[in-house]
Amino acid sequence: MTDDHRSVLQSEGHGARSAGRNGRDGALLGLAIGDAAGWPARQHRSQLLPSWTRRLRRELDTFAETQSVTSLPVAFALNQDPGPLRFGPSDDAEWAAWTLTWLRAAGPGPTRDDVHAAWIDAVAAGRLPRGRISVATAADALRRGARPPRTGYENPHHFDDAAAVRAVAIGAWFPSPDEAAEVAQWDAEVTNAGDGVLAARAVARTIARTIATPTDLPRDALLAELPEATLIGRNVRRALTAVDGAGSPAEAVPLLDEMVDRVYSYGTAAAQTVAVAAALAEVSIRCGGPPIEAVTAAACLPSLADSAPGLAGALVGAVRGAGAFPESWTGRCRVLAGCCAPELAGADVMELMKGHVGEH
Amino acid sequence: MSLSERARGCLVGLAVGDAMGAPAENMTAEAIMERWGPVTGFLTDARSGTDDTEYAAFSALLLLRHGSALTSDHVADAWIEHLAGRAGGFPGAGFSELGTVENLRAGLRPPASGEHLHSWSDGLAMRAAVHGVFAAGDPAEAARLAAVDGAVSHAGEGVYAGQAVAAAVAAAMSGAGVERAVEAGLAVVPDSSWTASALRTAVATGGEVSSLLDALVAHRYPWTDLGPEAAGLAFGAFVAEKGSFSAVPRAVSMGRDADTTAAIAGALAGAHCGFTAIPPEWADIGPVTGRCLGEVVAGLHLADLAAQLVERAS
Repeated sequence: MTDDHRSVLQSEGHGARSAGRNGRDGALLGLAIGDAAGWPARQHRSQLLPSWTRRLRRELDTFAETQSVTSLPVAFALNQDPGPLRFGPSDDAEWAAWTLTWLRAAGPGPTRDDVHAAWIDAVAAGRLPRGRISVATAADALRRGARPPRTGYENPHHFDDAAAVRAVAIGAWFPSPDEAAEVAQWDAEVTNAGDGVLAARAVARTIARTIATPTDLPRDALLAELPEATLIGRNVRRALTAVDGAGSPAEAVPLLDEMVDRVYSYGTAAAQTVAVAAALAEVSIRCGGPPIEAVTAAACLPSLADSAPGLAGALVGAVRGAGAFPESWTGRCRVLAGCCAPELAGADVMELMKGHVGEH
Repeated sequence: MSLSERARGCLVGLAVGDAMGAPAENMTAEAIMERWGPVTGFLTDARSGTDDTEYAAFSALLLLRHGSALTSDHVADAWIEHLAGRAGGFPGAGFSELGTVENLRAGLRPPASGEHLHSWSDGLAMRAAVHGVFAAGDPAEAARLAAVDGAVSHAGEGVYAGQAVAAAVAAAMSGAGVERAVEAGLAVVPDSSWTASALRTAVATGGEVSSLLDALVAHRYPWTDLGPEAAGLAFGAFVAEKGSFSAVPRAVSMGRDADTTAAIAGALAGAHCGFTAIPPEWADIGPVTGRCLGEVVAGLHLADLAAQLVERAS
């Protein structure tokens, strides 16, 4: 299996030197592409339209129920500029970009205090992007004077994947997997605890390691950070086993439905999204097909479609490089809308990667 | 005061709190005030317990059967036998119960069965008073038993919140008084835990409703089922009312997971001041309906279970 995988990479002409740069861009671009692929992207991007458009959409949800029609509403523009509803990235790409901006400002070798200060300053200045329940809860706590890691620990959604998404940027930024994992932990403990922090460490280490050594399979670095006796550790192993015989990411989709929680009202638990992303990345790399197929497959699991496609894209992008994604996607997905971080509207995620620590 | 008097006070107090809080569940304190004014007793004519009473009864049956030899495997097997096979859902239950059932159906055993997205819910805290009744006077043993039971359905803070309730009840059962009961709850959970921090907040605010809610409620989270929050609100009500049964309407007036917080407050108050202290107009609480768990608990009286637990422990 490993030999096949090597031959795929060699056939694409990955030299050790170019692989690093290409892998870094690939991780970020993969995240942005996956972020655009899921159905929640359009809903996030509708934040750029007046709030009454979203209120009417919610009313149409009720309309479908009360009038017993199967036409489900989507985010719409009516008489507004429909530009924001174009296909493109949303919350997760903006969070990764926001993370890159403070990483650049912090310079090489940020300390734990530096990382926490980035959050504390952003909250104080009212510049923290809109985020998940874990992030909003932590921001409230920071505003009231609580400090990490309490802000992440006394947090009802401490298990979500908000930090794991940010860890894509951290893993791409630091050439050293150890440093990436450590900084990801300091960043994660602001908003998360338990599985949420483990996931962030695992994603950062995996991205950094596969950028440096694209012949390493993501699964090894992930599993090294995810103890078996945790929900996320168990789920990632289950997901990898479930797709053992899958011949393509698309074929793996129904096999991964067992990983999907059907009890809870939100689908952003790291224990599920990271598990599905890891499994689809594994299948994609093993089969050597186009990496975009890992992303589109992940988007087929609706409840996890907010972040599993992005995480899958990041993992597979770090291995295969930015150039392995179709240009039709790349062009649309590298530019941010500013639906969560208004200051980042129009920013190009590839540009934000320039000047990363590895280039110092 | 006899152990039986305290035990009946505790479990009937739990059922009273559950029934009194049910109409106010998931409401805000402001909405409750607007609708009913200051809470002084039952809000409606409905006087039957809900999930809190039923799961407490279920855990009591396990203690009656296995005593202090109870294992998490016993509990898991009982959940599989009586709950996992139920068709048509689990009325009244929270995310943690169905999450557990799904895990058990998938073949997971404790502690893995308790590791789901709501492992920190108040679902163990709502049933852990029975462990305190059984291990009266021995908070550490009560906390151990709560953790044995809780490992099936909860983990981390969900287990801590349950342990705190069990230990505080066990201490109150021996006449420890309000302050020492709260200390006993704090002593069995890690200092750095969310539960400990919530209990310290309960003490620091003296249970004053608005400051307690302000400190403990995570407003950016839409549900009301956090174990540390429920324990903090319930202990706050217990502290504010100096252990009397007024703790029950005070907990109800806070809203949130009002049936659970009032059930815990009622259990603490009952262990502290006994069955006869329950206002007579509240004490006439019917048997378990079985609406949530079915035949295994239907028709049971909490007062009988309390007396049997005392007998079983002696």
